Amino acid sequence: MMRVSANKVCKLSLVILGLSAVNTASAGEDLFGYVKGAEALPKDAIELYQKLTFRDGKEQGSYQALDYETEFEYGYSNQLSLSSSIKFMSLDTSGLIIDGYLPTEKDISFASSGMEVGASYMFLSPAKDDIGLSMSMNLDYDWIDKHSGQDKDTLSLDLGLQTQKYFLEGELIWVGNMGMESTYAKRAYIDNLPEDFDWPTDAEMEIELKFGTGLSYRFAPNWFVSAEVLYETEFETEVGQERWSWFAGPSIHYGNQDWWATLTWLPQLAGGGEQFAGQEDTDLHLIEKTEQEFRLKVAFNF
Amino acid sequence: MANNYLNSLWFVPMAVVMAPAYSADYLTIPQAQALLFSDSATFQDQSRLFSSDAKSEIKDLAGTRQRQDNQPIWRVEQNGELAGWFIVDDVIGKHEYITYAVSINPQGEVMGMEVLSYRETHGGQVREQSWRSQFNGKTLADPFKLDEDVTNISGATLSCRNLLDGVKRLLVIHKLYLSSAA
Repeated sequence: MMRVSANKVCKLSLVILGLSAVNTASAGEDLFGYVKGAEALPKDAIELYQKLTFRDGKEQGSYQALDYETEFEYGYSNQLSLSSSIKFMSLDTSGLIIDGYLPTEKDISFASSGMEVGASYMFLSPAKDDIGLSMSMNLDYDWIDKHSGQDKDTLSLDLGLQTQKYFLEGELIWVGNMGMESTYAKRAYIDNLPEDFDWPTDAEMEIELKFGTGLSYRFAPNWFVSAEVLYETEFETEVGQERWSWFAGPSIHYGNQDWWATLTWLPQLAGGGEQFAGQEDTDLHLIEKTEQEFRLKVAFNF
Repeated sequence: MANNYLNSLWFVPMAVVMAPAYSADYLTIPQAQALLFSDSATFQDQSRLFSSDAKSEIKDLAGTRQRQDNQPIWRVEQNGELAGWFIVDDVIGKHEYITYAVSINPQGEVMGMEVLSYRETHGGQVREQSWRSQFNGKTLADPFKLDEDVTNISGATLSCRNLLDGVKRLLVIHKLYLSSAA
């Protein structure tokens, strides 16, 4: 276990001051953009992440969004990691109005959008036991709807299980995830919408189920290439199954003793559920999801 | 919108300021030889080139792959008699290879272990004498289980396990190819 020097703590404190209280989170080095491994940070270890997710394309008009998340993670014990993060976003939509979901065109240059606290507990170590197993819990509060950019209070509890197994002395790594996110959401009223436009402001409940798996191979020292597959489906109060989507894509990861970075491309391969009027590609869900996402994660170890 | 993406660069200077850095190559081979054997010892290079059949045999007995075709091995003599063997090996760390050296006596017991390079985020304790000394006296009769005969270092479990498996593999190499040369 690496001890954190006073000097490092002093440097970090300036950043931490801008973040919310230290709480739980994911854990350790991410070889993938979306699915997670089961390893925990060791006691007293610190990791600072910056995550950028570019969401692009809804078939019609122009839709481009960039989500920023700065996350601080701390190894409370050798099994328990705590984290907190603060989120920002940019959004530019034009030429596409979706009744009930995208009520207006939106141009947000940069705005704070939410915060999250989390915890991850490792029950079995993937490097020591036959298979690694961890559980994560994240509590997320957003005040902007990341899909539409409209004001919307959202409180979500995300529970997840992560499994991980090493093969070939660690050159090949498999992970499997499953999770459930329960969400309470309430939209803010919008003035001057067309009379027949549907924009309910009553509170709604949503449950999202997520399953993912990934395989990563270390093709050279410090370098990993990975592929991951995700299935996500969401059930909502009024419409039942609101959406489902399959995503799959590659990642490239570089890591050394001080920092790591992961770049991921994740296109939507298939999707269904609700679709907007006039949607031509009916094989994708494009109301809340986009045609593709790119994600860059950079993290520094302390 | 394009300008908005430049916002994503705001974290870069912060990260550059805070990224720590430290060296990771700790010992040269002659330095490790001097630490594991006395000053009067002489070292004769007897590196081995393994065929695929030999590598398979090693894997069968050790339980882990013999990744290297060429294994750096030195026969060590003192006062004209065999004092043991000095073997340098690489195992997989989380990011990079861990280079270490093991001394094995003619009876097939580990005499000592030194870590030549270690470049991982966590687990620098593998270099500490208290951790390395747990390997002293190990033979193929030992279980070679993490946390049974060698303690795990949290955050570096993969490195610890691979070092443990690596030492066992070197003992297998000694048994198969070096013990008869004594």
